[in-house]
Amino acid sequence: MLAMRHISKVFRTDLIETHALRDFSLEVAEGDFVAVTGPSGSGKTTFLNVAGLLEGFDTGSYQLDGVDTSGLSDDARSRLRNEKIGFIFQSFNLIPDLDIFDNVDVPLRYRRMKAADRRERITSALDLVGLGSRAHHMPSQLSGGQQQRVAIARAIAGDPKFLLADEPTGNLDSLMARQVMDLLEQINEMGTTIVLVTHDPELARRAQRNVQIIDGQVSDYRPYEPHAPAAREPVPLAAGAGA
Amino acid sequence: MITQDIRPILSALLRNRTGAVLVALQVAIALAVLVNAVYVVKQRVDKIGRPTGMDIENIFMVTSAGFAADYDHAATTAADLSWLRSQPGVRAATLTSGLPLSGGGSQNTLYPTPEVKGEGTSMNYFDVDESGIDTLGVRLVAGRNFRADEILPEDPTYRKPVPGFIVTRTLAKALFGTEDAVGKVTYDGLGRPMTVIGVIDHMQGSWVDWDKIGQVGLLPRRAFGPRALYLVRTAPGQRDALIKSAEEHLSVSEPRRVLQYVRSLDYYRDRSYQADRNMAIFLVTVTALLGCVTALGIFALATFNVNLRTRQIGTRRAIGARKADIVRYFMVENWLVTTAGVLLGAALALGVGYSLSRAYQLPRLDLYYLVGGVVALWATGQVAAWQPSRRAAKISPSVATRTV
Repeated sequence: MLAMRHISKVFRTDLIETHALRDFSLEVAEGDFVAVTGPSGSGKTTFLNVAGLLEGFDTGSYQLDGVDTSGLSDDARSRLRNEKIGFIFQSFNLIPDLDIFDNVDVPLRYRRMKAADRRERITSALDLVGLGSRAHHMPSQLSGGQQQRVAIARAIAGDPKFLLADEPTGNLDSLMARQVMDLLEQINEMGTTIVLVTHDPELARRAQRNVQIIDGQVSDYRPYEPHAPAAREPVPLAAGAGA
Repeated sequence: MITQDIRPILSALLRNRTGAVLVALQVAIALAVLVNAVYVVKQRVDKIGRPTGMDIENIFMVTSAGFAADYDHAATTAADLSWLRSQPGVRAATLTSGLPLSGGGSQNTLYPTPEVKGEGTSMNYFDVDESGIDTLGVRLVAGRNFRADEILPEDPTYRKPVPGFIVTRTLAKALFGTEDAVGKVTYDGLGRPMTVIGVIDHMQGSWVDWDKIGQVGLLPRRAFGPRALYLVRTAPGQRDALIKSAEEHLSVSEPRRVLQYVRSLDYYRDRSYQADRNMAIFLVTVTALLGCVTALGIFALATFNVNLRTRQIGTRRAIGARKADIVRYFMVENWLVTTAGVLLGAALALGVGYSLSRAYQLPRLDLYYLVGGVVALWATGQVAAWQPSRRAAKISPSVATRTV
């Protein structure tokens, strides 16, 4: 699904060079749920940006679902992001002037889908995250947890193969964080590959695999360990939950 | 595709409408002013550009005034005309009573019967001699020119009736409708008959703001002194040199008179249209400034929106928007604001146009100008929004992952 080999990424200013990623290699198989952790400044965000095709890289190779991403045009990268990747951001990044329905609709419009198909996918995604009845609420009318669930609905509405979550629970309290993690696990169980970037070891433990980045390199790779039963106890996703 | 974009953009606009409403109002006012100003300018330009009927570029005038007690007007004007007509490059010269397009002249009213009843027909008349038609460069289309023996001597009292005169087509039509005017009789203010002996195609009279400027008559009379006014027509390209030589000669040829002005006829035409020209320049300047201010307003709103939505744009790029999608978003958003403005502005423009037409007896606003104004403001809006839109498209999608 995702194969990064010997990636390096250097940020240059007039005075200094910062090696954000150096000889970075990582493979994620289809259906994996991988947590990427590391201290501040370790290169997690750069990894996220490169993996999500939000930024390019200097050397190495990166294949996403069999597509070699090096040398792709800006339009081709946009198309690949739209079709293959669903993004979940720490600050939700919903568009405040659009209602929930239209927020989920944004990536589908960029895919030039027909209105009827879009409506069906939006309804289905909002139902999955338990917010079907709030389709015409504005983001400001929802709690943080609900907003993040809308963001998840937006990420999955296009049926991407790969979800990239950037500290998805970073702005949520523990109850809402559990709901969001349960949802991500549910989505993963439906076959979507998930890479979760977090600094929270508790969240990382809920992933199948853990990857730790230090100084722009993979320093630790831990295989899947079964979760403790208490951590996986599901939290209901009723429409009003977390409000 | 664009129509599909409109609903969410409109929905977002309506939630943050203050800036958009202000810019739309600015566009509306700009359209109302622009359309009416351009319409007024076009009317002024048309007015200035009306055909004069005369060979105006090759005509100059000379005025002199006798001041000495023994000044002999008849002898002096005969000598002056003789000298002027003898100059190489001079095609014709005449003594006249007035100067076309100068703002000063003489007017009489003609009546269909000797009883001198009713409104009558206004005529701006010029006393000329048998060289008058040639000097003015007007075209005789019916009848004949004056003979030398028909030219009446000087008569400050105007007691001598004018037996025959020449009229413009416009005056002929005002007097006799579509009938052939040659040979027809009309009556002056004293009830004396005047017979049309010739018709000239067209000639503008003295007053450029007069709605009957084309109702001109040429009368066969020697203008009386002691002031003398000559019109001189030259061969093309000779006028300015002849102005100089005429000034040099006539200023010394007769010590009992003073030479006042030697100027081209187009100097007077330009002077008469100065107010129209100034008005046109003022309106064009105001309109251009208003257009610039409107463009700046649109540019500022688009720039503000781009700056305000940096993260949103990054997010849109991250979830699949191409650069072209971002450009289109802002262009469509701007187009919606401009369109709201032009719709309001169109109503305003028609209202202003109607008020102007009633207040100043102007023709009603031509709808082509409204359509042109709408297109111009749409184009202005799109041009003004282009640079901010391009800048928005350059925002990196990685902005979406930055925590602020």
